Amino acid sequence: MPKTSSDRALRLAIAAAAGLAVAGVTTFALAAPSASAVIAERQANYKKMGAAMKAIKDQLAGTPQKGAVVDAAQTLATIARKQTGLFPAGSGASSGVKTDALANIWSDRATFDGYQKDLIAQTGKLLAAANTGSISATTERYRATGKVCSACHKEFRAD
Amino acid sequence: MAPVSSTSQTGRPRLWDGPTRLFHWTLVVLVAFSWWSGEEHEMEWHRWSGYGILALVVFRIFWGFAGPATVRFARFVRGPATVAAYARTLFKRGGEHVPGHNPLGGWSVVAMLAALAVMVTAGLFAVDVDGFESGPLATYITFEQGRSAAEVHEVVFNVLLALIALHVIAIVFYRVWKGQRLLPAMLHGRAPDGVELSADGMRVTWWKLALGVILAGAIAWAAAQGFRF
Repeated sequence: MPKTSSDRALRLAIAAAAGLAVAGVTTFALAAPSASAVIAERQANYKKMGAAMKAIKDQLAGTPQKGAVVDAAQTLATIARKQTGLFPAGSGASSGVKTDALANIWSDRATFDGYQKDLIAQTGKLLAAANTGSISATTERYRATGKVCSACHKEFRAD
Repeated sequence: MAPVSSTSQTGRPRLWDGPTRLFHWTLVVLVAFSWWSGEEHEMEWHRWSGYGILALVVFRIFWGFAGPATVRFARFVRGPATVAAYARTLFKRGGEHVPGHNPLGGWSVVAMLAALAVMVTAGLFAVDVDGFESGPLATYITFEQGRSAAEVHEVVFNVLLALIALHVIAIVFYRVWKGQRLLPAMLHGRAPDGVELSADGMRVTWWKLALGVILAGAIAWAAAQGFRF
């Protein structure tokens, strides 16, 4: 049977639709990584932050090595910035993935974002203090950072 | 120094000596306070409360060797045959009133002391999620190990709560089913009427008491300092 123009049009339409579908799925996948991946990533990051906080505390309890304190403070400052992008909508406990992130992170987003900004600011100051080598300044900034952690956890983390 | 007899005004020996009763009720208060302060994340208070419990546990273990007869481990920690024989009479109404810890209750005491010891030890090493709050011995281990210690701390607390519940239920059971009043003796120290208690070894030796208090205080203080002096 000879091919008609309407056949060609139909084939084109199908190919275009398929192409669009593939493009759409790809875009969607890039824009919204699966909840489990994003939860795993932010949890791994928080664990690194916890370990860095402990490292600074341990240093301050003894005779602090400036290099070790700066390294840990750098880890905190770097990760604090990464975490802001790791709480997309739908990555709470409702996703079915085990997480201590409470639903009010998304219902009271402004407060939560405020804590994240505060964490970036405080870890930045902590890093600056660590770089000066001053134990008293570092201790003070360390405490201020710890307060942001616990204040946010009290409000937004299941325990 | 001459040993001071731990007897009531009527001349009968006290079933529970003063230090043991003080230990018991202080422990009740501190366990309750630790629970509250832990839930509320009042970690400075929680640590102090834990050091207090550590001192109490150390004292009680010492007192189990140096205290009056009824609180000594050698008296109340009994073998399986004795425990089994006692267990068979457990649901008999009335029954003989054993002065002090009975063969089953003795093991309940051991279990509670063991749970408290694990609880306190895990707490000394525990690290909070943020790596900010931690026990005084956490500096000797990694963050991950400290988090495991915190998990043990949490799990054993549930075991402890179960043991405390069992302890309270047992006292109610003895009162209601067996007609034996166990609580008053832990308040005023005197054995119930009609319960014979030998005066042998029922003395509090003051220098041993002082030694136990110093030992308990020293160990709790050293742990609080993280053994860094």
